[in-house]
Amino acid sequence: MEADGGYADSTLGLWGAQSSLVNAGRGADAILPLTIGMTVAFGVVFVLVLALVWFAWRRDRPAGHWWLWSGGIVLPLVSIVALMAISTPTLRALVTESDDALVIEVTGKQFWWDVVYDPDGIALRDANEIVLPRGRPVTFRLLSDNVIHSFWVPSLTGKMDMIPGRVNMLPVLAEETGRFRGQCAEFCGLSHPRMAFEVVVLEPDAFDRWLERTQGEARDAARPEIVEGRNVFLDAGCAACHAIRGVAEGARLGPDLTRVGARGSLGGGMWRMNQGTLAGWIADVQDMKPGAQMPSYNHLSGPELRALSAYLASLE
Amino acid sequence: MGRAASIVAGLAALALCVLAMIWSAMPPMAGPARAVVAPLADAAHRVVAWYRSGPADGHPDWDAAAREVFGGDAGIGADLIALHGCGACHAVPGITGANGSVGPSLEGFARRSYVAGILPNEPGGLTRWLVDPPAHAPDTAMPDLGLTEEEARHIAAFLYGQGGG
Repeated sequence: MEADGGYADSTLGLWGAQSSLVNAGRGADAILPLTIGMTVAFGVVFVLVLALVWFAWRRDRPAGHWWLWSGGIVLPLVSIVALMAISTPTLRALVTESDDALVIEVTGKQFWWDVVYDPDGIALRDANEIVLPRGRPVTFRLLSDNVIHSFWVPSLTGKMDMIPGRVNMLPVLAEETGRFRGQCAEFCGLSHPRMAFEVVVLEPDAFDRWLERTQGEARDAARPEIVEGRNVFLDAGCAACHAIRGVAEGARLGPDLTRVGARGSLGGGMWRMNQGTLAGWIADVQDMKPGAQMPSYNHLSGPELRALSAYLASLE
Repeated sequence: MGRAASIVAGLAALALCVLAMIWSAMPPMAGPARAVVAPLADAAHRVVAWYRSGPADGHPDWDAAAREVFGGDAGIGADLIALHGCGACHAVPGITGANGSVGPSLEGFARRSYVAGILPNEPGGLTRWLVDPPAHAPDTAMPDLGLTEEEARHIAAFLYGQGGG
């Protein structure tokens, strides 16, 4: 693991980044035994049902209603009570919030994630990639201002719906550093399957450094092509929807682009982040993410598209 | 259906479920999947290539010889194309998810006469283009992707495997 969690990396093609069987958080630790236990239990029930089918076919099956009582009332009662007894403490562990947790507000959009760190304090806005400290409690404040989405990072904890007009809290404690993948788990429109994101878990001191560094303005345009790209950004009207701190602030319709080039992926976990994919994205969003609210900007000239994509890739 | 057959069918369904669960928990194309599917796909490709090559007329394939990329590995090229996300702009047969329509489709690239309508489509021209497109076409929308010459050779080798000459 590099100091910054390997920013050049991406979860794309990384096996196990989005798996309920690879647990790296306290919630996932609590869920995994339940998953395995229930799978085994229901396997046993299935075999039992087959045995009953065989039993029902017997011509010489015993008369009487004892099996109706035991199989129809006693057995379900016992198994449901047992399931309750096992799952209730797990559920409690999943929703117990910590008072000193770092609050991260995530709003589900069509089809991306608006992320605000410490919304009542520094209110640092970012998108589509969430950086977490290892071993420090975090509470996600989950919102939606459009349709219902569901926030799910299988390696950290269970899923939680994002419901318009409601605030859902999801406590998380990441236990291992690394890069994980989240996915919208509630059908939300045409590009619902393309609505993913990445989670980077850093050591606590690396996280503090990251938070400190990321609060500043966007990196300055250094090369002539990049200066030109910044001008294209302003002239083409990108700033009507996208904010870049220190360049164009305030717009919130689209993802904040202050550190877009530092993200591991583009388009909500769909493509590796580089100048080429950025150019393809700008020119044909609707092909890469059908139904997204951003129009395809294929009226830019070739050099304008190159300059703009070079500028965005430089924002690390 | 007899009762024994029902029980066997039920157990078979259960076994299938268990197999599906194990399968879903494995890395993609690992273990049995790769061992079974890869040789089959390879054989199918050979049959298709043989069919497309048409009746043998006794002449060597000069085109194919001219487009052999020295130091290029088509397999590495395929990985590089997936890694860099060429598919964001180009449709590339054989690369998962590569169906972009910003730039031209790269299907049958070996049969194309010019690269970007500018450089003759031979290994040197294609490699030079891939390393720095704007240097050859100042008005192109294709950015310099920071490929090394070696990486460009691998990608060229993959592209010349497209379309079977």
